[in-house]
This record gives sequence, C-alpha cells and structure tokens, in this order.
Amino acid sequence: MADAKVFVERIKQMEGVSGCLLIKDDGALLGRALDDAETYTSLMLTTAGLAENIMDKVGFSYCRYVSFNRTNNQTFYIFPIDHYLLGLVQKADCSVADMLDRVYQLIGRVSTDGTRTVS
Amino acid sequence: MIQLIDELKVIPGVVGACIVNFQDGLKVTNLPAIFKPERLLVVGKHLLELYSAGRASFSDLTDITLNYDESVIVARELEKGSLVFVICDPTFNHNLMTMSLNLLQEEYKLGNFATAESPVGTPAQPQADVTGEIQDLLEEMKGALSKILGPMAGFVFDEVAEEWIEQGASGFSRIEVLIDLLNQEISDQDKINSYRQLISPALKAFQKG
Repeated sequence: MADAKVFVERIKQMEGVSGCLLIKDDGALLGRALDDAETYTSLMLTTAGLAENIMDKVGFSYCRYVSFNRTNNQTFYIFPIDHYLLGLVQKADCSVADMLDRVYQLIGRVSTDGTRTVS
Repeated sequence: MIQLIDELKVIPGVVGACIVNFQDGLKVTNLPAIFKPERLLVVGKHLLELYSAGRASFSDLTDITLNYDESVIVARELEKGSLVFVICDPTFNHNLMTMSLNLLQEEYKLGNFATAESPVGTPAQPQADVTGEIQDLLEEMKGALSKILGPMAGFVFDEVAEEWIEQGASGFSRIEVLIDLLNQEISDQDKINSYRQLISPALKAFQKG
C-alpha cells in the first residue's frame, strides 16, 4: 500500500474530514491523524468482522463502509480496504456526499499490493 | 394499532424492515419472503452487537449504517436489547429515514406498537439434521457459488440445499445430487465447469477425511 502515513495525511487534509486513522486487519496501527486512536481500533476490528458476517448471511457482495451516526453529526466511518481499515471522523458541518466522493477517489487510487500509489 | 414498520416501507427505496429483540428473537418483519426469519434473526443479533460496540465508543450514537454494494442496512436501537433495521436501495433518503426512525422509536417507547397479526415463529433450523462435517463442506460449496452467481448465491444455495435435504439423506453419498441441483440453477456450462473446479478441492478433502 502507498505509504500509510502519507495516505492518512491526504485523507486528513480533505474537506469535511476531522481526523482519521489506518489500521491493519490484525489491529496494528499504521497511521493516525486524530487523538485517542487506540479507542477506535477495537471498534473498527469488531465492526469489520460483524459487517462481513452480515454480508455473508444476507448474500451481499462487498461492504463499502459502515458509519456510526451521532447526534453531534461527527459521524465515524469505517472503510475496509483489502486487509486494512480506514477510520474517519467527519466534520459536523460538511457536505457528506462530497466528502465521501473525495475519500472514494483517493481509496481508488491506492493499492495494497504496490501497483498504484498516492500521487 | 399501527404497524409502524409498514410506514417505513412507504419511504422510497426501502425494501422492508425488521425488529429484533435479543431475548425474544424476531418480533416482526415486512421484508420480502426471500429474507428468511432465521437469517434476519442472525443479522439482527449481529447488529445488536455492533450497536453495543458503537455505543461503548459514542454515547450519542443514533444509527448505524452499513453500506454494501447492493443495499444499505440502517439500524437503530429502540430500547436496550431491541433494534429495528431497515434494508434499502443505496439511493434511499437518509434524512427521511432518520425522521421516520425517530418517530418509530418514540412510538415504540410509548408502547404504541403492535406485532404482526401472524407472529413470526421460532426460526426454523433447516439444516438441523445435517452433520457438522458435511455442514462445513456445504459452507465451502456455498462460498464457491458466490464466485459464480454473485450476491444471490447465498439465497440460491440455501433454497437448493433445503430441497436436497428434503429429498433424502444429507450425507456425502448424495453430494452429486446437490451439485446437479445447483448446476440447474447455474444453467451455464462454462460456469458449471468453473464451479466444479472451485469445489473439487473441498470434495476431495472431505473424501480423504
């Protein structure tokens, strides 16, 4: 994958993103741009496992993301990217659709096998 | 008495909804019959776990949204141990859904909620007479079928497996009968061949014990 810290920094700089972190699917923290990253790690791992179980049970093919919607509008998103998980905190006053589009564009440009990199 | 989840179904893009209680199981659903009660119960319990995990991190958690390629699942805890989840097309209106869930939650807490006139029965155990070993093989075959048929593979496999179990003993001696039934569903010779290639290692491993 493109250098994790560069990737995290790019995500963090996006309009609408308050903070983010990237972990491996074994829980290893690869990059962070928010406080208390450790508190999010277990939630991300639990979520990834349960979302996959639900996917298998219902017959869906791919989980794009899971979001935890909050009354303060700082939604927390988890994006599975191959063997990695990107966690992202949304700014309360952003355009969600635009923010998600920007994140997807960047996710689509990175690879976990080294064939593409953030440019 | 109002069937509150029927009001959710009026929202454009909503396929249906379901209410699950951790103790009592599936309370009510208006999802199409293809979503079998036993599966909805498992999904509901996973969502309750997920909600619990989310609540531990965010005290102001309202909903959880799971965005899959084909559909979106929105889940909201109604009270401790009870949760409603809605399956929608990806184009659904999230704001409208949030408002409707707020209303449903209020009505639920007030007790203005009726379960279905035909209560959802205890989930069936369609493969209860399938032994553990063959069950593992069936799971592998089901997983392989998803590479051939895509997202509908789970439904197709379970339907066919049920038919196969009803026809006779669900042992390895009849596995070719099951494969034939699946082949009829695949109905494309190239894909049938691919499926055979995918499941061959599992079949051989099972035979070797």
